[in-house]
Amino acid sequence: MYEPDDLIHQPLRLKIMAALYAERNADPLEFSKLKSLTQATDGNLGSHLTTLEKAGYVAVEKDFVGKRPRTRVAVTPAGRNAFRRHVDYLRSVVEGVDD
Amino acid sequence: MVISKSEAALALSDIEKTTARAGVQRGYRIMGPILVLWGVIWAIGYGAMGVLPISNWGAVWAVLDLIGIVASIVMGRSASSERKSAYSWRVALLALTAGAFVACTFSVLRPDSGAAYMVFPGLLTGFIYIVVGTWRMTRLAWIGVVIAAATMVGWFFFLPYIAFWMAVVGGGGLIAGGLWLRSA
Repeated sequence: MYEPDDLIHQPLRLKIMAALYAERNADPLEFSKLKSLTQATDGNLGSHLTTLEKAGYVAVEKDFVGKRPRTRVAVTPAGRNAFRRHVDYLRSVVEGVDD
Repeated sequence: MVISKSEAALALSDIEKTTARAGVQRGYRIMGPILVLWGVIWAIGYGAMGVLPISNWGAVWAVLDLIGIVASIVMGRSASSERKSAYSWRVALLALTAGAFVACTFSVLRPDSGAAYMVFPGLLTGFIYIVVGTWRMTRLAWIGVVIAAATMVGWFFFLPYIAFWMAVVGGGGLIAGGLWLRSA
């Protein structure tokens, strides 16, 4: 009944999606805050965000605050659904629904 | 892709930890501006205690507390996207409980100096922040430690100027703490 999402299941991408899903009703999350929530490095976080953005799971906005560049990230509706489905799958595995 | 039960449990645990961290950060973002507000209220209230006779203190704090409680509810409701009515009730209940606790304590212990009236709310505020912060919000606990410690330093070393000490160090400490929470 439930299917895993290979793209989300990678450990850091899972944390990124969990953080963005938790902030789904708030403003997009700044890159530095997302980095602290996921405990990732700049390069690692950037490359996994690109993968998630290509899949349409996250939206990345780049702008300037004064002269300072700012990157903000939010989960898309497709990303929310994919994350929910993946969490449902994980729960079904843990609870042994398909056993 | 096949995921084993232990892998799935580990992934769910990672999700839970990340979600909890996000919740703490959201809490800091909501509480930061509220702490700044109370820092300003402390600065005004304690400053007024330093220059006004004791008979006016109650009225000054009644007005300031009312402004602080209403503003805290409004700020918290606009910043928090979920369960707004639950949040308002919790803030109102916490404020009423703290106020009743201070009034009961004064009634039982009957402080014999104005300085004791000034210092006790500072200690109580520090204690509440430490208790709440110990569970999840470490930064709040540190702010509580600083407020309580600063209050006691004022009590032991700056007693003649305690009102202004509490206005500057207590109020300033809350403002600095609020800005620190907001930056999290």
